[in-house]
Amino acid sequence: MMGNKTSTPYALEVRNLHKRFGALDVLKGVSLAAKEGEVVSILGSSGSGKSTLLRCINLLEMPDDGEIIVDGDRIELAKKRDGRTCAKDQRQVDRIRSELGMVFQSFNLWSHKTILENLIEAPVHVQKRPRAECIEEAEGLLAKVGIADKRHYYPSHLSGGQQQRAAIARALAMRPKAMLFDEPTSALDPELVGEVLKTMRILAEEGRTMLVVTHEMGFARDVSSRVIFLHQGAIEEDGSPADVFGNTRSERVRQFIKGHNH
Amino acid sequence: MDIQFLFDTFLELLGGVPLTLQLAISSVCAGFVLAMVLALFCASGIPFLDWFARLYFFVFRGTPLLVQLFLIYYGLSQFEAIRSSFLWPILREPYWCALIAFTMNTAAYAGSILYGGMLAVPYGQVEAARVCGMKRTIIFRRIVLPLALRQALPAYGNELISMVKATSLASIITLMEVTGTAARIVSESYRAIEVFVAAGVIYLMINFLLTRGIHMLEYQFSPRVPAQNNSRNIAVGGQL
Repeated sequence: MMGNKTSTPYALEVRNLHKRFGALDVLKGVSLAAKEGEVVSILGSSGSGKSTLLRCINLLEMPDDGEIIVDGDRIELAKKRDGRTCAKDQRQVDRIRSELGMVFQSFNLWSHKTILENLIEAPVHVQKRPRAECIEEAEGLLAKVGIADKRHYYPSHLSGGQQQRAAIARALAMRPKAMLFDEPTSALDPELVGEVLKTMRILAEEGRTMLVVTHEMGFARDVSSRVIFLHQGAIEEDGSPADVFGNTRSERVRQFIKGHNH
Repeated sequence: MDIQFLFDTFLELLGGVPLTLQLAISSVCAGFVLAMVLALFCASGIPFLDWFARLYFFVFRGTPLLVQLFLIYYGLSQFEAIRSSFLWPILREPYWCALIAFTMNTAAYAGSILYGGMLAVPYGQVEAARVCGMKRTIIFRRIVLPLALRQALPAYGNELISMVKATSLASIITLMEVTGTAARIVSESYRAIEVFVAAGVIYLMINFLLTRGIHMLEYQFSPRVPAQNNSRNIAVGGQL
């Protein structure tokens, strides 16, 4: 199963990713790579393919073409008879998914489980780790994101910001090699955005590998190691925050940043 | 109205309660298992299974339960093949015929209710499970099923109440459950009001207890804020 380990300096690498929805070309050959500990922010206007890119990485969307390599482990894809792509080995996909923590725009906590149960669900039932150990670790994570006192509450009793911090803790409970954030603050009331960004900053400072699709220009500028700007399914700009925010050559990027700095 | 007669009748009708309950409970339990299979057929994405389940729902929800009961009890015995088969000892008994008809009927309703519950599970919660690397079977057992059952509970409660009342149809094929007993007393005493009032009261009492039970289940499976002082003691193991 591990025969396709390739040596790569990157924790997460995407090569030449293509995705079509019917006649719509959403991703037209996107490549990106994140070294261990790098925070890569992905910017772009609505419909540019940012979320699709992120969702292709853990195969929530099946890419039509391209390579995805997580910690040297390349996801094996195959073509079906009708030309569509599928995973060759679902177990490999499940394993790689469990190594990538994903945080959604709409939190997606399991509503029939308490916060603590949400955190230990996958560690116990996917990773088969001892329950007691998972609970102890989960309580530590909840303390870290500042909602230890809510561990026996159900998601519906938490504010949006608290739910998103719980979702981040749930992703961390899997001890992921990299974290994927899909517009984690876009569904939040403005006054709750700060607490989630603060949590994400703490993770960045710890040296976690993070891919963040966001509209938060401040976060992208201050926290990222790299910023990628997507436009119509292709990378328009890729550079350090100073490059992208300071002296981009692209008029489109300049306009976008101007539009988002109020 | 003769109160003493009413009271005596009531006591006599209580003798039919065990059979009424037996019919209701057995058919609901067996029907639930069948309903789960049918709902899974619908959700399977396999066209033949999906088609089969939908046809089943259509036929059993679209025809009267009484007609289904007659077909099984009177209809099947027409066939020599059935009369000589190993199934005959079962199919010649009105009890088993009633049970089969009730089970197949409630399975159609419960199956479509359960499938509706599965459809109502927010897809984001399923995606959250997929990105954790959960296998389909675990996702179904740990995420989809508990959420679907909770979603389906109010509608399923209605179906349970319907089934308790539907058992009265068994009286038509000679079973002496509550309604059957009532009909016998009426034919002996010619006092329909007292007898059927007493029978109605018995069904009301059964369904009162049933609705209380359903409400308790609904409450049990609704998210609640934990009591402050014993929040540590709420068992993490107490999940569905």
